[in-house]
Amino acid sequence: MDKIASLLGFLPESVVAIIMILIKIILIIVPIMVAVAYLTFAERKIIGYIQVRIGPNRVGPKGWLQPIADALKLMTKEVILPENANRFLFLIAPLLVLGPALAAWAVIPFNDGWILSNINAGLLYILALTSLGVYGVILAGWASNSKYALLGGLRTAAQLVSYEIAMGFALVGVLMATGSLNLEEIVNVQRGGIHHWLFIPLIGLFLVYFIAGVAETNRAPFDVAEGESEIVAGFHVEYSGMAFAIFFLAEYANMILISALTATLFLGGWLSPFEGLLPASVFEIPVLGSLLGNGIHWLVFKTAFFLLLFLWFRATFPRYRYDQIMRLGWKVLIPVTLVWIFAEGIAIAFGWTPWA
Amino acid sequence: MISLTHYLVLGAILFSISIAGIFLNRKNVIVLLMCIELMLLAVNTNFIAFSHYLHDITGQVFVFFILTVAAAEAAIGLAILVVLFRNKRTINVEALDDLKG
Amino acid sequence: MTFQMFLFYFFATIQVFAGLRMISVRNPVHAALFLVLSFVCAASLWILMEAEFLGLLIVLVYVGAVLVLFLFVVMMLDINIAQIREGFARYLPIAAVAALVMVVQMIWVLNDKVFKASAPPPALPEYNNTEALGEVLYTQYVLQFEIAAVILLVAIIAAIALTLRKRPTTKYQNPGEQIKVKRNDRVRLVQMKAEKNEVEPE
Repeated sequence: MDKIASLLGFLPESVVAIIMILIKIILIIVPIMVAVAYLTFAERKIIGYIQVRIGPNRVGPKGWLQPIADALKLMTKEVILPENANRFLFLIAPLLVLGPALAAWAVIPFNDGWILSNINAGLLYILALTSLGVYGVILAGWASNSKYALLGGLRTAAQLVSYEIAMGFALVGVLMATGSLNLEEIVNVQRGGIHHWLFIPLIGLFLVYFIAGVAETNRAPFDVAEGESEIVAGFHVEYSGMAFAIFFLAEYANMILISALTATLFLGGWLSPFEGLLPASVFEIPVLGSLLGNGIHWLVFKTAFFLLLFLWFRATFPRYRYDQIMRLGWKVLIPVTLVWIFAEGIAIAFGWTPWA
Repeated sequence: MISLTHYLVLGAILFSISIAGIFLNRKNVIVLLMCIELMLLAVNTNFIAFSHYLHDITGQVFVFFILTVAAAEAAIGLAILVVLFRNKRTINVEALDDLKG
Repeated sequence: MTFQMFLFYFFATIQVFAGLRMISVRNPVHAALFLVLSFVCAASLWILMEAEFLGLLIVLVYVGAVLVLFLFVVMMLDINIAQIREGFARYLPIAAVAALVMVVQMIWVLNDKVFKASAPPPALPEYNNTEALGEVLYTQYVLQFEIAAVILLVAIIAAIALTLRKRPTTKYQNPGEQIKVKRNDRVRLVQMKAEKNEVEPE
């Protein structure tokens, strides 16, 4: 990074700063987009194996070019505008879903010091951005000028707003334990091996957070927003071609975001589970040491684990009914977080803080 | 540099816009509620500007309380609106004259 | 013109434009969306004034929840736009005059040198707005904070109480009762005599 900056030395300082930020953004966005593409492939393969099929295996060796073929197909298709639909809102809605899902990555630490913007209200920033995703969905539903789309949009809006509360409360527990809103500091508090990670003292909040995360991304079993057997495909029923593809991208980018956040907040992000458990000499062995030590590969691994859970849920659970979703959100998850926060507050007040 | 007056004038303009909005949309309860929200936003901007330029965090505490009350007001206002619509099938302010003796 | 100045004018212009459109568009859904735009600009301006906690809070609470509620209600209600727009043109002159008088008055007052406070130096890197706000909020203003919490609670209860209704036609399930069911509640074993296959005499 510094090398690139010194190469651009002939430019004024502010221009160099902007170029460096752009390079960092590209370095974050491109891998996420590739991950999204191959997540769709992984989803079809894994669900295929769970259902004793082989999944896509025709395009390229073992089907590895399938996502590219899908992308090409969607890009060459026509974007159909429904009659009497609001053109501007209809076209901007997919971008409003995708934008927050990508912007939230700005404050996630990938490795020691690898963070685009190390702001001290990072957690709040993430909460604020994830709450903006509702707009894309509700606008898509309304602008399509279709009953199914409107129903899907309203269902989603209600669901997202409800689960946001449980999610926010789960994060309150995290920031009480770490005493910081900065994600890098939250990771650093969890240093020292797997028994220092926050998911042990905050197991209830961890589970609530992940369940609420599944609901926030509208994934099965909480996918009443799409509910293909009831309201066809919900809010994106009128979308086709690239506009539909962006909704798809956004959904998978959100899944990756939620997984990475769960890994960062509760499982120590890029920290290695063996840190502090193995003798220091092990980490000095050339290749094995860096594999066992802290690094971005642990974040990738943990994120991949949660993504697998997403796919596993989809293949396992039947869809919740709408009233069941609301009951779970309001009458189970939120009380659990409230009780947990209360207990945690008492623990902190009396100094019983095993995580500190 | 941006001075305190810049923010205060912005607040004043927004406040006046929402006053005009209340004049213009006097039949539409929901836009009236939105105008009140915009008004509170203008006031909040003023509070934060004062807090920033006079180095006193109390202004932000005030904004915090205003936000709380405004959220409560919006929730109850919308609830009343929904009940109103259920009973009268309209949100026209002029239709709400049942208590006229 | 510094970069901050540019940001201020950029967001302020958008915010004023959004406010003007909000009060003048026909469709209440569009009005709500312009209000959203206005709130987002306000959040940006607040962050420009180093009030990042409140700036993010307003996005989280207002844009993310309260205005969604507004949109929700506007979309669900079947509003007769023509009827509620009645009288718009008639009130336009009065509204414009009233607003203009107010703006001119306020700007006149604000031009006083009392308000010419110079910009404070930028905050130090270790300054934490959230922490600073929390320290005051939970010590000096703790009672007011609790009153605010109670107000919110009352608002929640009031909003639910107002809109809750049980429709006689809707079917409800009670999951507790469904789980509580025993075999004896559903199945009744009946002892019956085996019937003789008698051929009735003709």
